[in-house]
Amino acid sequence: MLKNMLKIDLSYQKVKYAKIFTGIVILLLLFLIPVFIHKPYYLHIFILAIIYIIVVCSLRTVALSGQVSIGHAAFMAIGAYASGILAKQFGLTPWLTIFLGAVVSMLFALAIGFPFTRVRAFYFSMVSLFGGIAIMNLIRVAEKWTGATSLAGIPPLDSLNIPGIVQITFSNQKAAYYYFILIVALLCLAFLYSLEHSRIGMTWKAISQSHQVASSVGINESRYRVLALAVGCFFSGLAGACYAHYNLVLTPSTFGFLPSIYLVMYMLVGGLGSFWGPVLGTAIFVLVPEIFRWMKEYTPLLVGGIMVIVVFLLPKGMVSLFYRNEPKIRKIHKKEALRYDA
Amino acid sequence: MGIDVAQVAINVLMLSSMYILMALGFAILLSVLGIMNFAHSVIYMVGGYICYQLAVVYGLNQWFSLILATVIVGLFGLFLERFCFRPFFGDGNRTMVMTLAIIVLVETIVNILVGTQVRSLPAFVPGVIKGAGISVSADRLVTFIIGAVLTATMILLIRKTMIGQKMLAISQDSVGAALQGINIYKISSTATVVACALAAVSGGLMAAILRLSPYIGDTMLVKAIEIVILAGIGSISGVVGAGLILGALDSCLPLYLSGAATEVVGLCVIILILLFRPQGLFGREA
Repeated sequence: MLKNMLKIDLSYQKVKYAKIFTGIVILLLLFLIPVFIHKPYYLHIFILAIIYIIVVCSLRTVALSGQVSIGHAAFMAIGAYASGILAKQFGLTPWLTIFLGAVVSMLFALAIGFPFTRVRAFYFSMVSLFGGIAIMNLIRVAEKWTGATSLAGIPPLDSLNIPGIVQITFSNQKAAYYYFILIVALLCLAFLYSLEHSRIGMTWKAISQSHQVASSVGINESRYRVLALAVGCFFSGLAGACYAHYNLVLTPSTFGFLPSIYLVMYMLVGGLGSFWGPVLGTAIFVLVPEIFRWMKEYTPLLVGGIMVIVVFLLPKGMVSLFYRNEPKIRKIHKKEALRYDA
Repeated sequence: MGIDVAQVAINVLMLSSMYILMALGFAILLSVLGIMNFAHSVIYMVGGYICYQLAVVYGLNQWFSLILATVIVGLFGLFLERFCFRPFFGDGNRTMVMTLAIIVLVETIVNILVGTQVRSLPAFVPGVIKGAGISVSADRLVTFIIGAVLTATMILLIRKTMIGQKMLAISQDSVGAALQGINIYKISSTATVVACALAAVSGGLMAAILRLSPYIGDTMLVKAIEIVILAGIGSISGVVGAGLILGALDSCLPLYLSGAATEVVGLCVIILILLFRPQGLFGREA
């Protein structure tokens, strides 16, 4: 019996070590990318991918509580525009406005969150879709501040100057931006991951499974749903603000109807069931079209092809490709459990 | 500047009929199959392009090519139901990804085949009808008449015929309907074919009124979703009411506001209505 238990523990340990090892390798590779890749264009693609990973992960945080928002790109836009306008019109330093943009986005989510708790599941998705389009049109209306079709002249990040230690200039330095956004993304993902595995994350999952049962055990449903929306919108606002100070030009169509739907698609194709699903889905859908750029107008066919294959063969999303080892362990575990019962 | 009430009323009717025609097929698919068919936009666009191809490039009669386009796209609906919707029956997330994949694939194929330049179909009935101080483009009047006839037909089809009753039964409870001996798949494919055919008709008619490009479907798709959700899932006749409301908002507000502001006001009205009646104006209780 002891031997068997040891075997299980060993396999668990092995998987755990393998996970830690791959994590470290991937992190190292991510940090080494600017060393090997010098072409600004390729770095640009990686930066975009990382920004979208933050957004899609925050979208999944909202979805954990049973609210699949199809207007999430609009919150990215609020963060981006708030940060851009504050930095451009009021001359604040982008280091501050990035944070302020995220806060503005969160406040907006808090404001609309409470009325939106009246609608659930599918209807929430629809209302958020309309809300997203309305916000984008509002940005077009507020011409004086947002410049209607495009907001240009957003200042880049100020150079970081700590005498004697570091001196980093950001304007026109893709590598510096890459490290900045990578570090922001890692912090965001770490926070979202720990939030998902905390008591709050469990509560969200309980609400999404059955809001009646959750309410009956004393969970304040609407408060937790608004909390999920606020957290998700804070991080998408943060990502949007980073995008604003990286790209320096904002256009409303970047955050419109189709981009919002594509965010949901990245999440679903990557896999809604796992934290890493959205990361994988976004990375693949941003990078693959760029890798196969030589196919020119045929590239979208590849993207569509990947979607069709994933939908047919991997019902739980791309991330289930990496589940292969886990069912085996679960099976051993089950068998042992049965034997102990007998 | 005095506003001519009759002219405004006519404009509302014309715009509403365009919206309703587009939303009808979407509403049928959402009600019967429970599928949020984002691909409705590309089906509409393909309908317009096939009509253009047959009428302008091959020189067929324009009305005949509209009918032919409807038939071809209807057959495509058969394929769509069998291979894209049926394997994921009851799994909303995968169906949604599948419809998005169809958008990507079809848009790309159309882009490759015909290019992105904007085209326009000649008017089905050229000219402007004037009378009693009101002027209407004849093409829009034809769209209005066809829209009204098709809407009435669809409502009658669902209320009075056996197939329509079966569709209603499935939309209320698909398992219960299957237990009563209704062939769910057969009815689903009928519904999809009808929805695609309706999209193609509106695509063909709209290609003459608006311009034709691979991305025309996107804005109309948003309008269709707005109308169907406002009307409430499961209500086909409600689409008429919701379409009239949206048509009225969209044709009256631009007199006072800019285009984007119109959208904002319209969407806020819809959101407010949904917050008080989440099941839509005419939908059944959730």
